[in-house]
Amino acid sequence: MKLNTMAAVMTFITKVEEDSAGFYERCAERFPELRETFLSWSKENRRFEKTVRRTYYGVITDTIESNFSFEGLDTEKYEFDTELPQDADSSVIKKKAEEIERKIKEFYLKAAELSEGLLADIPRVLRKIAKKREERDLSL
Amino acid sequence: MPATMQGFNLEDIAHGIDEYAIYQPLGVFCCIAPFNFPFMVPLWFLPFAIATGNTFIVKPSPRTPMSQCELFEMLDEVGLPPGVVNMVHGGAEIANGLMEHPDIKGVTFVGSTPVGRHVYKKCGETGKRVIAQAGAKNFIVIMPDAEIDKAMVSLMSSFFGNSGQRCLSGANLLVVGDDRRYREVVDKFVEAAKAIRVGDGLDESVQMGPVQNVESKKRIMGMIEKGIEEGAKLRLDGRKLNLVGDVPEDCFLNPSVFEDVTLEMTIAREEIFGPVASILRAGDLDEAIEMIHEVPYGNAASIFTNNGKWARQFQHDVVAGNIGINVGIVAPMAFFPFGGMKDSFFGVLHGQGRDVVRFFTESKIVIQRWF
Repeated sequence: MKLNTMAAVMTFITKVEEDSAGFYERCAERFPELRETFLSWSKENRRFEKTVRRTYYGVITDTIESNFSFEGLDTEKYEFDTELPQDADSSVIKKKAEEIERKIKEFYLKAAELSEGLLADIPRVLRKIAKKREERDLSL
Repeated sequence: MPATMQGFNLEDIAHGIDEYAIYQPLGVFCCIAPFNFPFMVPLWFLPFAIATGNTFIVKPSPRTPMSQCELFEMLDEVGLPPGVVNMVHGGAEIANGLMEHPDIKGVTFVGSTPVGRHVYKKCGETGKRVIAQAGAKNFIVIMPDAEIDKAMVSLMSSFFGNSGQRCLSGANLLVVGDDRRYREVVDKFVEAAKAIRVGDGLDESVQMGPVQNVESKKRIMGMIEKGIEEGAKLRLDGRKLNLVGDVPEDCFLNPSVFEDVTLEMTIAREEIFGPVASILRAGDLDEAIEMIHEVPYGNAASIFTNNGKWARQFQHDVVAGNIGINVGIVAPMAFFPFGGMKDSFFGVLHGQGRDVVRFFTESKIVIQRWF
């Protein structure tokens, strides 16, 4: 799906953050030794979504500023699978988490690049979350 | 608010005598609101009016009254004392009634220039304060060094956001440069405008919605006809509809772009208030500024350039209330005043910020001594 507007970008962000939060919650149940880490990531994902949403509502509206920035932002490149195979061990989970974090990071970076024409708060917050993703990716 | 309402004082202006100024509310104010931003525009005034101690009446546009009804339901829940905020519905008769009412101390208005002029005159006759924010024909100047690809998002937003129905919309795109540069800018602008997805604004993939009603569409189409008759070249004809989804066509127009427009043409001088862009040419910045001044409006003007000297000259010389430098929509934040110049504004103090606090208050001077 191609995204055109900030509203559509926001909907996609809600989906990826919610999907990945759910993935980490299931991981927390499966691997008690990593429970705290996974639950904190899950919580953080929902906070990321809220941060972007607050920035979006706080500084721009679709009517005025954000309808023309996102040409070429195709969600296909950033979709990921959150299925947790029954027999998956921690190395499979790690690989999956890396892929999720990488794709979400790439999405935020691309969205930040395309939204340079908007008020600076939007690309700034998108880059900030991408950086957090990078840190998470490195810790895996 | 307390900081913006603060007075000032001077001790001992003469031996044993102190003098100070205080700002006090005047009473009842009202807002005659436009159709295009029915929720936002009354909020340029209402919070400032009641926070400075006045009461306030909103008359929404009869074409778009619903969002104010919602706002007033929320205001009811806030628990303001009865009568602090009030709403009346109606058209010109009600507006004139408000302007004639002896208890109303001041009127705020946003709308067209002919009506703004009427409001200013009428309020002058009845001794009221007035902020009348009126029509516009905003220029956006593209200098030879402008980063046109980066600017394009701002240009699309400026010319076609809200279907061009706002007083800060770009209307005239003024290209400075040689033939090659002119062609490059025009072609890129037309391509970007052609790609805009038009349809139901509730569809997230849609970038531009309809114009406000059938009459608006007819009027805009009339202006397009006029542009053709007067010799402008219609590069992109928004009358040929290309809509996303199954929507009735009655109020929709796709973006239109005219090139080879000259200042003598109606489409370069009169407010269209729709998704129609006119592209003009100038030899240099001096000529561009002269052209901007030929048009009677002065609400906003923008320049796209990387040259600080040009930007500074533009900011200093152009007679417009809001100047953009690499910004397409020059909408001031709430703590800065907002208002145009020339035929885009009638009054003295502007909306928002410190100006509007002064508008809603009267200064009183106290001189005191004690025996």
